[in-house]
Amino acid sequence: MITRRGPSKAQVRRERMQAAVNFPLDWLEERSGLVGGVKYFIFRKVPGDINWMQTLGSATLTAFVVQAVTGVILAMYYQPTPAGAYSSIQNITDHVTMGWLVRGMHKWGASVFIILMFLHMGRVFLFGAYKYPRELNWIVGVLLLAMGMMEGFTGYLLPWDQTAYWASVVGINLNGTAPFLGPWLAQFLRSGQEIGADTLTRFYSLHMLVLPGAIAGLIGLHLYLIIRLGVTSPPWSKEAAGEVRADEGSPELRSGLTRPGPRGGNGNGDAA
Amino acid sequence: MGPAEHDRPHLPAPTIGPVGFAVGVVVGLVGLIVNPLWISTIGAAIAVIFLFVWAREATAELRGRHVAAQPEVREAGAGDAPATAGEAAVPPAEHGERFPRSKFLEASTLGLGAVIGGVVTVPVAGFAILPAFLGQRRHEVDLGPVGDLVQGQWYIATFVTDPKEAVTSRRTAFVRNNGAVASGSAQVPSFTIISNRCAHLGCPVQANGPMGKPKTEKTANGPVQLYETQPAGFGCPCHGGQYDNEGNRTAGPPVRGLDRYDFEIKNGRLILLGMYSVSHVDGTGAQAKIHKYQLAGPGEHVVGIEQIFYPLQPPHH
Amino acid sequence: MAAAGKPTPIDERRAQFRRYKEDVKKRGKPFYPYAMFHDTVMSLVVVVMIAGLATIWKWTSFAPHHDGTHQGLLGPEYTAPADPGTTSFVPRPDWYFYFLFYLLRIFKWPETVFLGTVGVPNICLVLLLALPFIDVRRERRLSRRPVALVAMALTIVSMAVLTWKGATAKEALASEVIAEVPTWVKVEKLPPAAIPGAKLFASAGCTACHTYLGSGGAQLGAPDLTAIGARHLGIDVQIKHLKCPSCVSPGSPMPKFDSLGDERLRQLAVFLEASKGKR
Repeated sequence: MITRRGPSKAQVRRERMQAAVNFPLDWLEERSGLVGGVKYFIFRKVPGDINWMQTLGSATLTAFVVQAVTGVILAMYYQPTPAGAYSSIQNITDHVTMGWLVRGMHKWGASVFIILMFLHMGRVFLFGAYKYPRELNWIVGVLLLAMGMMEGFTGYLLPWDQTAYWASVVGINLNGTAPFLGPWLAQFLRSGQEIGADTLTRFYSLHMLVLPGAIAGLIGLHLYLIIRLGVTSPPWSKEAAGEVRADEGSPELRSGLTRPGPRGGNGNGDAA
Repeated sequence: MGPAEHDRPHLPAPTIGPVGFAVGVVVGLVGLIVNPLWISTIGAAIAVIFLFVWAREATAELRGRHVAAQPEVREAGAGDAPATAGEAAVPPAEHGERFPRSKFLEASTLGLGAVIGGVVTVPVAGFAILPAFLGQRRHEVDLGPVGDLVQGQWYIATFVTDPKEAVTSRRTAFVRNNGAVASGSAQVPSFTIISNRCAHLGCPVQANGPMGKPKTEKTANGPVQLYETQPAGFGCPCHGGQYDNEGNRTAGPPVRGLDRYDFEIKNGRLILLGMYSVSHVDGTGAQAKIHKYQLAGPGEHVVGIEQIFYPLQPPHH
Repeated sequence: MAAAGKPTPIDERRAQFRRYKEDVKKRGKPFYPYAMFHDTVMSLVVVVMIAGLATIWKWTSFAPHHDGTHQGLLGPEYTAPADPGTTSFVPRPDWYFYFLFYLLRIFKWPETVFLGTVGVPNICLVLLLALPFIDVRRERRLSRRPVALVAMALTIVSMAVLTWKGATAKEALASEVIAEVPTWVKVEKLPPAAIPGAKLFASAGCTACHTYLGSGGAQLGAPDLTAIGARHLGIDVQIKHLKCPSCVSPGSPMPKFDSLGDERLRQLAVFLEASKGKR
């Protein structure tokens, strides 16, 4: 006769803790399906040979989140009027608790964000990760780059000091030199014939509401496409997922991922 | 098995108890505002009476009284089938019928949707776009008595265009009194007043020469600073544009000469009026022949083949 | 299954993608914790870098006046408030626009301005957007993508050079150059009679087109004047040239400086004739 000992105390405690954690998650999952979505995102498979360079994308996202959070806090103290802008930023930097840190993080975070965007774009180009079926994702990325730089441009005016004012004068007039619609575009941006209070509030609205909204939406699309289409292996990887060399003949001949031969031929002994 | 078998017993038919109670509460609350002594008392009394009636009816079964239950009856098929199936369905288009109902519904849904989109979008878009182009006002700037501007001397004049906007509307112009020039039979004053906004991309142009101490004039639109200077030309610090003393471009990327101000003399004071663009200037000082054009933004050609790129200017003052 | 005959390019791409999906399913690793760990480390680096830069900015711009205006390692926390009527400010955009800024200085002929303002940037943007439709090969190995590698290298190098040149671009402004006159006197051993002319040379905008002992701008093609006196042109020729450059050198784009007056023109000429180069 086989005697079976009951579950140990530690096991019981562990099971109870599991159940306690699972209960709210199951409640949420049954009513929304969101937990399943998050689990899919977290535990999805990615190629085993991905590279550190492929962390630049999420690093860019982190930088954007830093900008968004610091920006929201700055907005609680900043006054978008010519009379109040400079002094409110002085107030933030000198008097508000940790205001200097939030302002500094926002200002330098902008540069870091743009650098990371360029590095990420370079990495994607290097890896050829803009090719089928990721063309749409590349286009979304380029639009994000353009919008990120426009965020930098609109935000640059907000301190309303000399550097801000004159850089914006030149930037707006640059747009004004475009043929036919240029002068109208410049006047629209400037909200009038001269840069004034209306320009500042217009740039503030673009910087705070329009552009971040568009960027957030495109980031959502960007992430969705990455999850759906998958992450590529580095092009120099010996076991790159799914790779058939262009010169190796019909894909039907290969059977799954076999080790490439020494001269790049497939493992079936066919020539390169 | 008919439909009645699937129905559960319904509650008793609606009675007056709850309704009367609600009326009493409402009257009581209103009475608190209108006439606390009488009306709210009446309301409270009504509420209590009907509360009693309601309680009696609700507990009728407990006290052994039979309560008639009205079964809920549902007509078969209503709401279960699509609109185009069943007895009450939308009839399909008959042969020869030109305006079938389904098509009308489709078209009107989309059409009404478009109208809603328009009603929401057009005012917002108009609000965002139109004010930038309408209501542009011209400001007249008083630069002080003409006598304070020595003939032949260049001044860098810094002034406020719109007192309401204060510092934001500060501008600078290079001013020279050219003396008087004959116009017909009269002698009219001649001034060279050149804007300091570069014609390339609007950077602030500087005078290439020593700058003296400022003289401050008190005027209606704020203080005006006049600095004496002896420029050998004007230069732009952004991209290297250079101009001569009449504002003609001599080097660099500016696409035309510097803009100028129209002016008038009122009560012996120099008043700046609107600005205009200049392609180039022949001659100097009082004898200068200025080729004037409507004010254009920086970087926009006013003559030559490239002017076809800028056919229409937004409303200016 | 492919129809009889060679599979079309889109069929091949689809087959490759299908294989990719299968490979990842069979041999891939879960995103958490493998890839997510790398992402987290990198994100930490980014956040620490941003906070670090903010802290360094604060502390290097604080001393010595404790008001954030010191031009420290990362610049001051404040520059002067906006003054639309300024005559002494040198506008510059944020550093990541320096490459566009320098592009504007390259296109210095009025007919070509639109190339620098809207032409080149828009062409680059269109090329970027159209990249997946220009390069349709399936090949991802770097050794088999020479065009892509060369294009990327050229882009990086040109943007880096343009950004650096934009950062170091200077306009020789009267207010800055006049501070160098004492150095000129020492290096060129200028006699006292030449000093008023030197000051005038510095403040009259000559350095906007000419270079002298390293200051000034050479962008507009004007000759360097460090040793102009060594040509022994003589004071009278110098004065005549200053009054009407195109009369003395036909075709010269230099503007006339007769408005300075005879006294000042003589001072300038004395200075130019005394400038015989580094002694």
